[in-house]
Amino acid sequence: MSNFLFLFRGGDAARTNQTPEEMQEHMQKWGAWMGGLKEKGQLVDGLPLAKEGNVVKKGGEVITDGPFAEGTEVVGGYLIVTANDQKGAVEISRGCPIFEHGGNVEVRQIMSMDM
Amino acid sequence: MTETKKQVENLFRYEYGKIIGVLINKFGPSNLERIEDAVQDALLKAMQVWGYKNLPDNPTSWLYRVATNNLIDVLRRDKKILLKGDDTTILTENHVRIPEIVLESAISDSQLKMIFACCHPSLSVDYQIILSLKLIGGFGNGEIAKALLKKEDSVAKSYTRAKRQLKSNITTLDIPIEIGLQSRLSIVLRVIYLLFSEGYASSTGSEIIKRDICLEAIRLALLLSENEYCNRPNVNALLALMCFHTSRFDARVNENGELVDLEHQDRTKYDNDLIAIGIEHLEKASKAVLEPSNYHLEAAVSYYHCIAKTFELTNWNSILNLYNLQLKRQYSPVVELNRIVPYYKVNGAKKAMGKLLEFESSTYFKVSVLYYAIKAELLLRLGSKEETLGALKAAIDLTENEMEQKHFLKKMVELRKVMLDDQ
Repeated sequence: MSNFLFLFRGGDAARTNQTPEEMQEHMQKWGAWMGGLKEKGQLVDGLPLAKEGNVVKKGGEVITDGPFAEGTEVVGGYLIVTANDQKGAVEISRGCPIFEHGGNVEVRQIMSMDM
Repeated sequence: MTETKKQVENLFRYEYGKIIGVLINKFGPSNLERIEDAVQDALLKAMQVWGYKNLPDNPTSWLYRVATNNLIDVLRRDKKILLKGDDTTILTENHVRIPEIVLESAISDSQLKMIFACCHPSLSVDYQIILSLKLIGGFGNGEIAKALLKKEDSVAKSYTRAKRQLKSNITTLDIPIEIGLQSRLSIVLRVIYLLFSEGYASSTGSEIIKRDICLEAIRLALLLSENEYCNRPNVNALLALMCFHTSRFDARVNENGELVDLEHQDRTKYDNDLIAIGIEHLEKASKAVLEPSNYHLEAAVSYYHCIAKTFELTNWNSILNLYNLQLKRQYSPVVELNRIVPYYKVNGAKKAMGKLLEFESSTYFKVSVLYYAIKAELLLRLGSKEETLGALKAAIDLTENEMEQKHFLKKMVELRKVMLDDQ
């Protein structure tokens, strides 16, 4: 078993035009999906990230506002799940509600120290 | 899990209306668009954060805090601080903290003011309805379009125009006190009644959203009834009327999605709790009333339909009297046409046919679906099967409502079968 990092990107454009009712529906899908992962013991941790932020370069000489300009690729949140292997982790990500909004999930194995 | 889900049904929509109201009350209608954006962003944030974790203990104050902070940020950025007096202090505070009890009363107070603002007499009826649905009810353009059978972009366009008018006509939210309250209140009631009728009308619009619109209309009237100045007999009469109608919601359409008329409704499907609430309000409405309003009379008719064990056992005499009273108060061709149904139940099909012919030759007569529906029923009772088919056909040609078309078509098919069996 290994831990995997899910990075959620994009989907913002589709979200801003939602009605309150649709937002609630979408939220409940996330809740249901994560609730399912939790029940199966696959969920380790995870939280959404704030929209604002900085990118710091060259030892602080260059500090730019916001993560990236291109809205579609901004990381909106992360999740850590456990799975047997990369394939299993990808399988878990398939149920993610972010796809409804045209977003994507980057699935990366978290390296273990005792390999 | 299912328990919390149930608790939060329509939560976002309700919260949207609540917080919009409090913020417009505080920052003024001139900031309407900024407020809408701020609340939208707060809900968006809630959607993202609450999806990961459980709901906060008090979602309202969470959303209120986030929305207010969003709004303050925007106002600071825009440097368009259009606030008066003490309210400017809010812009210098970093965090908005408001005790829950204060928030609760601020919500009901501002919701009431929003009703009067959205139903302001300077706005057209269409605008009053769309503003109420959007700003108090939290409905989306698409939902409104589906419920009212309109195009989504035409709803969006008229909403933009309605907002512009609201902003130019109404600068602060107020409840007219004492003088002028009654006339303003009667306009508000008419808008709520229209809102309810839009929701209740049986059409191809989405049933779920339509029911939500009916419940929203009831909620608004309840808000009025909870205010000491607005708790008038006609408010309670309207509430009773809406409760009685809504109690029959499930019985109006059968499992195949077909329209079921009053005569053939499964009365065990009536919502007895709502009927009881309706009776409560009808009793309140009857206290200290010198002259009953139309809402009183319509509520009473609906009451007799709700409590009747069967269609035949309905108290048709009382219903006929109520229609007579209504006509005496104010003549309306629709009421006269509707009156023919109880008149027929009391006096028989032959006499009723006489009334229908009388109506036909009056100057008020206009061909309508209801007219042909009643005519078909009377002709059938009088044994004129061929002519009944003709009337049903005319009703089908006239209605644009698919459910009604199917309903009349079904009647035609059944009648043809009977006619074939007779041969």
